[in-house]
This record gives sequence, C-alpha cells and structure tokens, in this order.
Amino acid sequence: MALRAHLNIAGPAVLVLVLMIAPLLVPTYWVMILSEILILGLMAVSFNLLLGYSGLLSFGQGAFFGIGAYSAALMLQAGYTNLFLILLVGMLLALIIAAVVGFFSVKLDEIFFAMITLGFGMLLFSIAHNWRDVTRGSDGLPVFVLPTLNFFGAEVSFYSPIHMYYLVFSVVLVAIVLLWLIVHSPFGLVLRATRENKQRVSFVGGKVNLLRIVAFTISGTFTGLAGVLFCLFNSMATPEFMHWSFSAKPVIMSIIGGTGVFLGPLFGAAIFFFLEQIIIRFTENWMLFLGVVLVLIVIYFPQGVLGTLKSKLLKGEPK
Amino acid sequence: MKSDAVLRIDNLGHDYGKFKVIENISLSIGAGKLSALIGPNGAGKTTFYNAISGKFPPTRGRVFLADEDVTGLPSHRIVDKGMCRSFQITNIFTHLTVQENVAIPLIIQQKKHFKMFGNAFKNGEMIHKVRQVLEQVGLADRGEQVVANLAYGDKRLVEMAIVLARVPRVILLDEPTAGMNPEETENMIRLIKKLASVSGTTFFITEHDMKVVFSLAEKIYVLHQGHLLAEGTPEEIRSNTEVQEAYLGRKVHA
Ligand SMILES: Nc1ncnc2c1ncn2[C@@H]1O[C@H](COP(=O)(O)OP(=O)(O)OP(=O)(O)O)[C@@H](O)[C@H]1O
Ligand SMILES: [Mg+2]
Repeated sequence: MALRAHLNIAGPAVLVLVLMIAPLLVPTYWVMILSEILILGLMAVSFNLLLGYSGLLSFGQGAFFGIGAYSAALMLQAGYTNLFLILLVGMLLALIIAAVVGFFSVKLDEIFFAMITLGFGMLLFSIAHNWRDVTRGSDGLPVFVLPTLNFFGAEVSFYSPIHMYYLVFSVVLVAIVLLWLIVHSPFGLVLRATRENKQRVSFVGGKVNLLRIVAFTISGTFTGLAGVLFCLFNSMATPEFMHWSFSAKPVIMSIIGGTGVFLGPLFGAAIFFFLEQIIIRFTENWMLFLGVVLVLIVIYFPQGVLGTLKSKLLKGEPK
Repeated sequence: MKSDAVLRIDNLGHDYGKFKVIENISLSIGAGKLSALIGPNGAGKTTFYNAISGKFPPTRGRVFLADEDVTGLPSHRIVDKGMCRSFQITNIFTHLTVQENVAIPLIIQQKKHFKMFGNAFKNGEMIHKVRQVLEQVGLADRGEQVVANLAYGDKRLVEMAIVLARVPRVILLDEPTAGMNPEETENMIRLIKKLASVSGTTFFITEHDMKVVFSLAEKIYVLHQGHLLAEGTPEEIRSNTEVQEAYLGRKVHA
C-alpha cells in the first residue's frame, strides 16, 4: 500500500487513541486545555468546510458558536437537562440562522463575502449584547446545573473535568466523522469544484448558490454544536463568543494548521492553545507572539503546518 | 409555431452599453447536424454563445431549444434543458484529477450533488461511466492525473469530456481548436467528426479558421460585424463573394 494510504488510516487511528488515553496521563489543567482544543478544533474544522472546501472566508462564524452556547444556557436555566435535547436544539437553532445568513451571503465572493458575514456576525453580537432581559448582556448567562446522561443505567454527571473531557471528545469525534463523510461525498466533490471554478459548475448544471447555502448551513450547524459544548464546558455563555474577534479564531487556526487538509484546522487549534500556554508563562504579550508565529507560519508553511508537513512527507507519492 | 429545429434563434441581439455587438440573428438548426458559426476576430461569436447559453440574457430576441423558450434562463437551467458548451479559453477544474473533472457533471446529471455520504469513486456505475466518457475523448489512461499537469491539447480534451458527460442534445463548442498546434487540431477535428457521426447529438461550433470549418460542418453561418452575412453548405459559402470580402477585407474581382 502507498504511504499516503497508510498515513490516512494510521494517522487518525493514532490520534483517536492518544486523545482517549491522554486525560489519564496529564494533570487536570491540561485535561481542560485538551477539551478546549477539541471544541475550538471542531469549530475550525466546520469553518474550513467554507474556507478550505468552498473557498469562502466566513468572518461571522462566532455568531453560530454563540447561538449554540446561548441556546444551551437558556435551556439549562429553564430546567431542561436532557443532554441530547440540548445538543439537538443548539444545532437546530444554528442551522436555521445559518440558512438565513447563508441565503443572503453566498451570492458574494471573496472580500465581499467576508464583509457580509462579518456584518451578520456583528448584528447577532449586538442582539446578544443588548437584549439584556434574555441574555443579561455583557455579564453573560451562567449555567449552574449541567445536563446528565443515563449511561447504561448509570447516571453520569459532567462536573468533573475528566467526565466533561470524555463528553466533549465523544461528541467532537462523531461530528468530525460526519464532516469527513460530507467532505468525501459527491456533495463534497462538487463543493470543491465550485471553489475552483464556480462558472464551470454552473455550466454543467450545478446550482452554485444552493450548494453554497447548504455548505454554509452545515458549517454553521456544527459550529453551533461546538458552541453548545463550550457553554457546558465553560458553564457560561457570553456575547464575546459572537464578537468578530472570536470569529477570527477559526480563521487563524485553519491557516496555522492548513486549509487543504481535513484535520489541518484541528491541528491549528492544538498549536494555537499549546503556544498560548507556553508563551503566557514567560510574557503577557501573547498576542505579539501569536503575531510573530503567524508571520513565520505563513512564510515557512505556506500550506499550514499539517498541510506542508504532509506534502513534504508525501513528495513524489501518487495522488 | 412547431418546427423540427433542435435549436432556434429568433432575432437575437446583444449590446454592451450602447455598442450593438450582435444584431438580428435568426437561425434554426436541425437535430443531429454539425453546424458552424464562423467570422473574423471580434465578429461577435463568443457574445452570441454567451447570450444563448445563459452567461447573460440577450438584450433582444428569443432562444428556443426544441420549441421550448429558454431565453434568459441561467446557465444551469439551460444545461438541464439539454444544451452544454465549451469555452474559447479552457474552462475546467485545473486542480482536480481528470476523472474528478468528468465525475462532477455526471454527479450533477444524476442529481447526486446533494448526496452527503459515500464516495463517488466507490460506485461501480460511476467508475464505468467516467471511463466511458474518457475513452470517447482518448484520455482513459490519464484518469488519475491532476489536470494541471496535462499538455494543453489534453486540457482541451478534458473540457470536451466534461461537456460530453452531461449527454446534451446540443453541444456548443467555442473555438475548440483555439491555441492548438497542427497535430492537436487534427486530432480535435477527427474527434468532433467521430462524435457527431455516431451520437446523433447536434453540434454547433464557432471557428475563425475557415479550413477547420470546411472540413467539418454540414452547414455554415457567417457572422460579420455582428450580423449574419450568409448561410449555406460549405460549397455555397466558399463561393460566396461577400464572405470572401469580409474575410479578406477587400473587394474580390471575379
Ligand atoms: N464584456 C465586453 N464588454 C464590451 N465589449 C465587449 C465585451 N466582450 C466582447 N466585446 C466586444 O464585442 C465584440 C465581439 O466580441 P466577441 O468576443 O464576441 O467576438 P468573437 O467573434 O468571439 O471574436 P474571437 O474570434 O476573437 O473570439 C468585440 O468588438 C469585442 O471587443
Ligand atoms: Mg470568441
């Protein structure tokens, strides 16, 4: 078998194994960092369905993350504690809003698309920020009671970081497998075709706008799911999730990891958090160093870290 | 009015701003024919194709596909109605493989472009169809290559394969031999002839090279400065003095 095929099977298998045993080996603090990496990694991989596979730079992804988070916080405050219900409703709300935003945005390309999604993001941020009766504005919505799960008769709670980690890990794993299937499906292939040459797609009968709306909706739905998880993990939903600076995170993570590789954005998220943890030990100027690292990566890893490493490793291998 | 034309154009005109690029074009193409639209550079051939294939709606006039009015429909609807085209400047998916290029129109044709699971190339029927199309254009051994690595002539064949994959009733080819060397041109002409003779598909091609056209077309339309100057069989066109003047840019004395 070719090296590429080995890598495509062994890589994810090793990764899943490492993620399954890691929390047993590292201190609690790092268990929490790992949860955060997985949640933001899911957000970045969903985001990359747009940037990497559709060629659309969405700058309003935080809005869907926030919708998921607020939906979870409001449900928990209202006394709903069924985990699956909370996950589903969060995704459903994100799906509906993403379909609407997508409908108005996908006719545009490039910087115009980035600007219109940024605009919608700011609009939704303002609602979360100013609708104090429901969202408590900038204070955010705290969560006091976490959902529980009936696991083969045993009641499992998620107050311990390890339990929370395994919840996050399982949901993210399922979501990423689904996204992988989508990316490699006939829909995924046609989507990549629109990124390359949308005129050609339309001149063989493809409805480019509809394809893009669907991609945007899927991306928003899974980003909403990440938002639900983050609200549970963080015990809080705040308008900050919906701010444009939060929307920049999946952009940065995807570019660090590589937009051309399916798991690139997840790696980008990991690199992002590891760097942050290392750098804040020495200096408070994390942003400065993030800036430097970004510059270096863009120059020396033009396809992102994972993308460039993979193409170096597979140089000369058939595609 | 019923007619046996598969493509009928009625008084078509198009303006760029105040500039009337094409004007008063009416023609009617019978099923299974290989017709050509010729004319010097800038005559308006590409504009004509763009206006009838859904790139933009024509300013005036109507377009009928087998008696159905398709004027001004977007390109993807016109493809669904059975007309598909190639472009003068190669228009393909450069960073995908040859077989992916062909699979994309096939997936859309089979209305599987919203199918979210399974892999297009794990499907025996799809593999078979892709192969069939690639064999038609002579690229069967290049299926796994990334298009960017192909020679220019092969890239143009990929575009032909993309068009054929949709099995259209009418195929519009905008200067299929543009930029090709003599050998590639020869190959393309042979291919078009073969396809037109076996498939029953209607071909309508543009060219500015008269030699290419005379060796291919059953019927020729001559476009000059946006107007239809003449139409007829190759012999009729060859002996038409007006056409000679248009091409040579001077009076021809018999
Ligand atoms: N987008 C445009 N805006 C304004 N004028 C245009 C545009 N496209 C083409 N034209 C002009 O319209 C005329 C017809 O152009 P067109 O490309 O249709 O000719 P053509 O017959 O296809 O020529 P060629 O043999 O060079 O391909 C030319 O004078 C051209 O300069
Ligand atoms: Mg032209």
